[in-house]
Amino acid sequence: MTRIVVVTSGKGGVGKTTTSASFSAGLAMRGLKTAVIDFDIGLRNLDLIMGCERRVIYDLINVIQGDANLNQALIKDKQCDNLFVLAASQTRDKDALSQEGVEKVLNDLKGMGFDYIVCDSPAGIETGALMAMHFADEALIVTNPEVASVRDSDRILGMLSSKTQRAIEGKEPIVEHLLITRYNPSRVAEGQMLSLEDIQDILRIKLIGVIPESESVLTASNQGTPAIHLKGSDVAEAYTDVIDRFLGAEKPLRFIEASKAGFFKRLFGGK
Amino acid sequence: MTTILNATAPACFEIKSANLPLVALLLKSRDLDRLGQELAKRFGDVPDFFDNDPLVVDLSPLKAAGESDGSVAWTVTDFQALSALLRSYRLQPLVVRGGSQAQMAIAVQAGFVAVSDVLVHQPTPAQRASEANVVQANPASSALNPLPLGALVIDKPLRSGQQVYARGRDLVVMAMVNPGAEVIADGHIHVYAPLRGKAMAGARGNADARIFSLAMAPELISIAGVYRTSENPLPTAVQGKPAQVRLVVEPDGDKLVIDAIGV
Repeated sequence: MTRIVVVTSGKGGVGKTTTSASFSAGLAMRGLKTAVIDFDIGLRNLDLIMGCERRVIYDLINVIQGDANLNQALIKDKQCDNLFVLAASQTRDKDALSQEGVEKVLNDLKGMGFDYIVCDSPAGIETGALMAMHFADEALIVTNPEVASVRDSDRILGMLSSKTQRAIEGKEPIVEHLLITRYNPSRVAEGQMLSLEDIQDILRIKLIGVIPESESVLTASNQGTPAIHLKGSDVAEAYTDVIDRFLGAEKPLRFIEASKAGFFKRLFGGK
Repeated sequence: MTTILNATAPACFEIKSANLPLVALLLKSRDLDRLGQELAKRFGDVPDFFDNDPLVVDLSPLKAAGESDGSVAWTVTDFQALSALLRSYRLQPLVVRGGSQAQMAIAVQAGFVAVSDVLVHQPTPAQRASEANVVQANPASSALNPLPLGALVIDKPLRSGQQVYARGRDLVVMAMVNPGAEVIADGHIHVYAPLRGKAMAGARGNADARIFSLAMAPELISIAGVYRTSENPLPTAVQGKPAQVRLVVEPDGDKLVIDAIGV
């Protein structure tokens, strides 16, 4: 039974594509056959982060419009055998994304025996974002510890519970997971960032993980490697925990405590 | 829980209690020509506004206005003319209430049923607060719902961008109302969770409406159009605490008063 997971946030630049790449790679590393689809038509990024931009020949819109079939358009990931990327179109605009077309692509992928289809949503609340979430079974709500991001995630949660297929047909609601990214415990301690408690008090959905703010994310993006592959980094560990929790394991949260300031720093007051 | 008792009953009929939604006409003048003109002005464009709704004619405003002392006596013909006028608007005048004894007796002769215990929705006196706009534009609507509506109950959280309007009734929200969400009611608003969005009670001018929440932290509160935004923070004694908001009408202006409530 294929599960469709949308990675969404409302706000831009919070880490949706980074999360889509690491999350789909993490599922594939567990032997689960996974497809990841970039819904950001006109601003495609996922292929860069996955490091497959030179191999994009056909894209999602080509498949929807019948110019190519799925086998031609799915790009096999270079690191995981079970991972396939369906890129967004760089040249078309988002109006090319029709609900019937998206449904057909998803159904065809189900027919190909995929375990998970990860939909990387564009920012905003327009067609691309609505199409990415419409057929979802589960949702990863990517949120940064700041007020605007929390507000936008709240808006998206409202749309997930009213505008998606499950909501409209009155089926079991979408399973919502909160993923907090770019979390910096010491800035939280200094009151510059919202704390986990503040965020959860507003959003009130189950927390699936906290990804610490880290320079290695930028390094990974520029190298075209999903951050989960950076062995030994906090970010890779945190994403691995997310996969474990997503697949049902109980794991304590990590990387949420500020490191204790040293004696001299306390004495002379940091900064 | 329902208990069903086996009782002896006649086989070919049963007497049961029933309720009928009635439209009420509060008659404020006995000048039937003027009534005819005003009805034509209001409903002339929409001849099928009413759908043979049963109607109660409420004479109490006339009685209160002192016209029942016999100085201008109602006749059977007056009531029949009134009845004919109302029927031409697809209303079925059946019942009369609230008049003086003499008025009621004559109405009965003209074919009305005289009833005293009809509950008529009275617009609250405080409706003057927004009389200028919404209320005056739609005076018929309160009379169209003569039976009290229960509160509208929302169980799901209201998130940014979502809006709920309880038209003509109270609103009860059992989950949080988040920043960017709006709850609006013509009556009271109860939020049995944090209220962090906008809340507008008494939206059509009911100054007696109140807002209740278990954690009062709104972006905006408004009662009958008198509002306060979070730019002007609530006192710390009520911010985020169980509290109620009400409107106090004073000569020097209307004020929103926020009190903590014991829970």
